[in-house]
Order: sequence, then C-alpha cells, then structure tokens
Amino acid sequence: MTFPASAREERGATAARDRTFWGKLSGWAPYGAALRVATASPRRQFLILAICPVIWVLTQHLGPMVQMLRVSLTDAYPVAPGTPQHFTIEHYLAFFHDPLFWQPFFRTLSFAGVFTFCTLVLTYPVAYFLARHVRPKNRMLLLLLLLIPFWVGEIVRTYAIMILLGNTGAVNLVLKWIGLIDRPIPFMYTSFSMGVGIVYLTALYMLLPLYSALEKLPASLNEAAADLGAGAWTRFRRVTLPLTLEGISSGCTLVFLISTGFYATPVLLGGPSTTVFAETIAGFFHVAGDQWPTGAAFAIIMFLAALLVTAAFQKLMSSLRKGDSK
Amino acid sequence: MTRHNRILLSCVYWAFVAYVFVPLILMVLMGFKDSKFIGFPIRSYTTDWYTGVLQDTETLTAFGYSVAIAVLSTVISVLVGTWIAVLLEGRKFWGRAVILGMTILPALIPGIISAIAFRIYARLLGIETGMGAIVWSHAVHNVPFVVLVVMARLSTLPKSQIEAARDLGADPLIAFLRITFPYLVPAIMGASIFCLLLSFDDFVRSFFLGGYEPTLPVLIFAKLKSGMSPEINAIATVALVLTAVIGVWAERFTRRMNKD
Repeated sequence: MTFPASAREERGATAARDRTFWGKLSGWAPYGAALRVATASPRRQFLILAICPVIWVLTQHLGPMVQMLRVSLTDAYPVAPGTPQHFTIEHYLAFFHDPLFWQPFFRTLSFAGVFTFCTLVLTYPVAYFLARHVRPKNRMLLLLLLLIPFWVGEIVRTYAIMILLGNTGAVNLVLKWIGLIDRPIPFMYTSFSMGVGIVYLTALYMLLPLYSALEKLPASLNEAAADLGAGAWTRFRRVTLPLTLEGISSGCTLVFLISTGFYATPVLLGGPSTTVFAETIAGFFHVAGDQWPTGAAFAIIMFLAALLVTAAFQKLMSSLRKGDSK
Repeated sequence: MTRHNRILLSCVYWAFVAYVFVPLILMVLMGFKDSKFIGFPIRSYTTDWYTGVLQDTETLTAFGYSVAIAVLSTVISVLVGTWIAVLLEGRKFWGRAVILGMTILPALIPGIISAIAFRIYARLLGIETGMGAIVWSHAVHNVPFVVLVVMARLSTLPKSQIEAARDLGADPLIAFLRITFPYLVPAIMGASIFCLLLSFDDFVRSFFLGGYEPTLPVLIFAKLKSGMSPEINAIATVALVLTAVIGVWAERFTRRMNKD
C-alpha cells in the first residue's frame, strides 16, 4: 500500500521539523536539492546507483585481465618512449617450443586433477558422516571444529606440513618407533609432500559443497530404497551419489581452480622434479621487465586451460545428472 | 550393518580431524623446542623463541604492516562490495548477469594468475609496488566475497519495512541508511572479518606486489627459504593463534547476530 505523493510530502515536512539528526538532514536545503536532482526520475536514480559499481567492476575486475591479455600480445613491455609497439603471438608460440615450458604446464594440470580427486575421496565420507550420522544439534559443532584450522594462512599450514613430513619429522619418527623403517623415508620435496600440502589447503572447499548437498538429501529416499531391497552399496551408488553430483561438481571445480594457482606451496614442498607452471610463470617476473609479455602469455594459457578443464568437467557432470534422471 | 557403517564413518571423521589438527599442533610444539635444530623428538622445552620474536623489530614491523594492509583493504572491499550488492540484489536490468559474472571473477582466478595480472595492471595505473599496491590488490580480490554475503542477507530483508519507511516520509537515501543498512550490519561484520583474515593470510598477491618491506606471510616465506628454525615456529604460532581466535569469534558472532 502506498500513499499518494502529496501525503508523502506532507509527512516529509513533519519529519523536517524533527529535532533528530535525520530530521535535520532531510530539512537541510542543500540535501533536499541534491536529492531532488538525483531522484528526478527512476532512470536517473538507477544510473546514480549503478555508475560506480559498473566502473569499478570494469576497471578493477576486468581491467587486469584485459591488460594482461594486451601485454601478452605485444613484442615488448614496458615500451621505451618513442619506439613503436607491435602485436605478436610469438610468446604463445614459445610455449610449444620448449619442453621446459609445457612439461610443468601438463604436470600442473595432471597434479591438480589427481589432488582434486584425492580431496574428493578424502572428504566425501567426512561430509557424509556429518550430514547423515550426526544429530543436527551436534552437526554445527563438529563442522566448526574442522573450520578452525582453515582460518590459518597458506604459508603457516605449508610449514606445518614441512615439519610433519621432514626427515626428522613426526611421521618418520613414528615409523621408526614402530620399527617399520631404519632410515627415514624422504617424503619431502616430492610430488607426495606437495599433494599432502595441497589437499590439506583445499579440503575445506570440497567439504562444504559436499556437506550442503548431502544435508539437503531427505533420509526417506534411502529408507525407500532399503524397503525396495537395495543393499548399502546399491543405495549409495544409485541414490546418494547421483543426487550429490551437483555438490561434487562445484567442489571439484573450486578445488581444481585453486590447486592450479598455488605458488608458495609447490616452492616449499616440491622439488626440482615437481616444478609447476606457477613457478615457470613467476620466473618471468622476478627478472628484468622485458620478459613480462611471455609471462603474461603463459598466465593466459594457464587460465584458459583451467577454465576449459573445469567447463568440460561440469558438462560431463551435468550429462551424468540428466542421464540419471531419465 | 548401519551401525557398522556409522562406527567406520566416525573413525574416518576423527582421522580427518587428526589430519587437519596434528600438523598445526606439532608446529606449535616445535616452537617450544630448546634447540636450533628442527626435528623430533623434543627433549627439553623453552619459551626463549617467543620472547625473542616479541622483541624482534623485523617481525613486529611485518606484523603491523600486515594488520594495516588488512584493515585498509577491508574498508575498501566492504564499501564497494556493499554498493555492488545493493545494485544487484532484487533488481532486474539489462546486463545484470554480465555485471554479476564480472563481480565474481576475481574470486575464480587462480592465485598466481591473479597476482601476475595485478602486477601488470599496477604498472599501467602507475601504482608503485609496496603497501598501496598490496592494499589495492587485496581490496579487489575480496570484493566478491562481500558481495555474495551481503546479497544473501539483503534477499531476506522484508520489503514492507522499506515501504513503511517511505510512506512515513523517508527519502530513498534515509530509508537505506536507517532500514537497509542496520539490517545488513551482521552480514557486513561477517564479511569484514572474512576479508581481514583473507588479507592477513594472503601470500601470493603480497609477494608479487610488495616492495622491500615484507608482510608477515612473506617474511615467514623468506625465512623458510633460508632454513627452518624454531623462531619461525614461534612467529607462525602467533599468527595462527590470532587468526584462529578471530575466525572462531567471528563465526559465533555472526551466528548470534543472524539468530536475532
């Protein structure tokens, strides 16, 4: 219900006589004038609301990516004043010429895929337990317990993994204690230590989507399947898993994208044989600026590849979902 | 059968709890080791590393630098993010989906690529590497999280309250400041703390946009590259306790505010 405009104005005049801050503000002539100009038409009001966010999003969110694309296509950056700038795709071609470049690239993609899968296998039972076997009253508590370590930063948690897996680390100490080994196993600076670190850092991003997907699932579905004679494994495979594909898909997408972007963790936990593409890209920015275009081109290649993989994965998942509902 | 499953799954859960907690507990313990050599077993304990760190100007400066960056970038993110959320929520207009997509973009770009893109863009804008550049990159990176949280809260605002305020003579701005904004405060608080922690913990953007002065994560990284020492454990533990306590407090705080 709205009052006619005249009634509104009349009430506005009453408010203006108020002694409160707001009353004084709406009675203040410059404020009233500015407001009348701003709200002269709904269209103008909307434009005033929209202009700042749109400019911010275009210049700050899209701008860096566009500029990176532009730099990747120039022959040299930054340009010395007076010299002409040429467009070229040689930096993209350089990627295919040297195994030193494309090997870390494919390593990154395959590592990220494997680590994402490991995270999924590790966190699915945890999410399942929380959503299906814990009383709702305790659920939040047990979930919060898992959230605490994830407030801690990337570097600190990477360091914690270094201490865990080092030659004189806790795992080797325990193994020696039980008598399984005589000499420490060199876990560190391998793809294994890197995997443990990255799974450790990304587990939460998988756990939360899985948990919310599982929580939405009504228990009656499982009971119905059990009544119809389905065993535990069949129930999981035919009921629970298909209905949580959406959670799996968003969790995997998130974890995959994050895993490809790690820089410090591979530097600290990996070795020479596990150089990832992030380190290759970073290499172009540590030295003099004339290698920026190559680094920018490689970053674009990496981003497009990561997007392609996740898009293909999501397509696969949605076709699985559709196939199941038939 | 179900009981069997239940026990098995609870074992998996507690094993997972151990996986996320044990490395951190070991790291904290190592900070009390009475020896320069990192490794187990720990035979005697000391608090010398902590007293050393609390007197070390390099660490304290880095800590203050990180806190200042976190606060400044959060203020920007929250202002911009709330504005974008108010524009996008509950309004239909041409290009809304595109703007929403672009708003979320910084959160989806993998860390290293985002850092590189900011580094290149900072040069275009003429921003010198250092505190300003770090604040700016953190602010942009954190905007999407603010937008998502504030939009979620805004979607539950009863429209009748705004209409009532308008009918009682409030102009759009005053209606926003007196009705919408107070309603958004819990979401804004939650988003602020999330941004503070994201910024405080961030490594990759601070590393590529930093000048000579390191933030705390960058300092820890630099120290780690030159060798492990219980001193690093003490620094990391201080950072860990601070972030974990703020995180847990924020979680409880927003939960209580949302209940009211």
